Amino acid sequence: MGKEIIRLEKINKTFAGTQIINNLSFSVQRGEILGFLGPNGSGKTTTIRLINGVIYPDSGQISVASFDPVTAGNEVRKRCGVLTESAGLYENMTALDNLLFFAELYEVKSPLSRAKELLADFGLSDATKKKVGIFSSGMKKRLGIAKALLHNPEILFLDEPTNGLDPEGARDLINYIKELNRKYQVTVLLATHLLKQVQDLCHRFIFIHQGRLLETGILTELEEKYLRRISLKVETGLEVSGEEFAGYRIENRAPGYLQFQVEKKDDIPLLLKEILLVAPVYSVEMSGRDLEALYFKIREERR
Amino acid sequence: MKTRAVKAIIKKDIMAIGSNVQIWLPMLLIPIIFSLVLPGVLIIPARFYELTTIGNMDTILKLLDNLPPGALREITLSFDTVNKKMIYFAVNYLFAPFFLIIPLMAASVIGANSFAGEKERKTMESLLFAPVALPSLFWAKILSAFLPAFFLTILCSLLYGLMVNLTAYPLFHALIFPQPNWLILLFWVTPALSLGAVFVNVLISAKVKGFQEAYQLGGLVILPVLVLFVGQITGLLLVNTVFLWWLGASLWLIDLIFIKRVGERLNRDKLFASQVL
Repeated sequence: MGKEIIRLEKINKTFAGTQIINNLSFSVQRGEILGFLGPNGSGKTTTIRLINGVIYPDSGQISVASFDPVTAGNEVRKRCGVLTESAGLYENMTALDNLLFFAELYEVKSPLSRAKELLADFGLSDATKKKVGIFSSGMKKRLGIAKALLHNPEILFLDEPTNGLDPEGARDLINYIKELNRKYQVTVLLATHLLKQVQDLCHRFIFIHQGRLLETGILTELEEKYLRRISLKVETGLEVSGEEFAGYRIENRAPGYLQFQVEKKDDIPLLLKEILLVAPVYSVEMSGRDLEALYFKIREERR
Repeated sequence: MKTRAVKAIIKKDIMAIGSNVQIWLPMLLIPIIFSLVLPGVLIIPARFYELTTIGNMDTILKLLDNLPPGALREITLSFDTVNKKMIYFAVNYLFAPFFLIIPLMAASVIGANSFAGEKERKTMESLLFAPVALPSLFWAKILSAFLPAFFLTILCSLLYGLMVNLTAYPLFHALIFPQPNWLILLFWVTPALSLGAVFVNVLISAKVKGFQEAYQLGGLVILPVLVLFVGQITGLLLVNTVFLWWLGASLWLIDLIFIKRVGERLNRDKLFASQVL
């Protein structure tokens, strides 16, 4: 990770009288995987289009690898690979023909070997000669990503990449993105509303809502900032009759389990120490500390 | 211009013609009717029967009598039988507007698929996300509809000429087709007209949601030719080579104005708004 590769400054965009993007500013560092999170209609897709210069902002400045997408759009697009939400493939053409066609547009060297390599990487070797029209949505998505990677882009934009994928497909994809980022330092901007899947993948997160930036940061920072209370599910032989134990509130109980509420992370070892003095502890699980909880919390507070 | 991208888009679009029956079927049927069936139905019976006894030919006969002075009148009237006069006249002049309908139809159908089709299938977005300059993209799409339409017209004319001369030779003992007006029609008027039809489809596709809608609206470009056809019967427009030169010239002018205006206004943002959103 290092230098800034994308920068948006005070971007506004209105469509048919509705403000889609509202004074949006953020930057992306080279080599980072950025989770771009927000509900449907929050402006994620529009932002990707703006960065790629296929639509122009009403005001504000964008720079991608020091190029302005409005005036030097093709320089930007050469460096970017995009998986759009609809994948944008030709259904009447075979998987291979689709890749070969886009390879021409992106001026890929030795298109055939590159296309075959990507088809193999995405488990589509058997479907090479099959028309995309008969593909499952997961296969289309994988082919769409293969298409986005044809020209070895520096920046990869993935718009809802795991939508329509089964859990296995989603896991494979996430591993592939990790690998791509690790091996080739590809910068990834991943727009999604499926938070659980990307929680461990992204280095940093940006939350947007109605075209406005709500919050940005790495997971631990955001947790520190927003999740003041932590819910701790402890599997223990401890028996407590009251609402509290050693000053920590008990939220919930089940046979063999107690759920405590602590104010901060540092309280956890202290609480456990107290329990261990009188009873065994078999397992501890923090809940309410995943991205989803964070997302709702941020939305609630920053809206 | 990026020739690699332009070639790839043209190739893709031309290949797509074959995979859609709604596109290739009319392109197959109409040429067969205009190039083979129509001249055949006129000429073959004419070798055996008096055409005047078959149906009501008064209009055409009257037309023949009133031909304006010139080479056509002289040649047409120089034939010894009514049948020969009528065949010669129909083959070289009366049927000419059909060969304006062929490129128009082809350009409209392929154009509808090429523009509105990409919009409908959400693939235009992928094209606009590619690092292909807009003029390249624009001309690739224009050519991918124009080239097949133009070559189809040439092919149909060749077939037509073959059919006409083969069937009429026993009667005339000479080749009666083509006349100079055909060459002007094919190489001056037709390309301008096809290009115009493609442009009309570009405009239509910006306003419609899908191929079907564009296809139906695009069919309207044939209307002016029908007017021309009526004019042909009553006023013999396409007989006149001067008229043909002017017709071609005005069509080219319209095309040029369109190209210039589009060239000035073309930007990705607007194209995206009209073709994707």
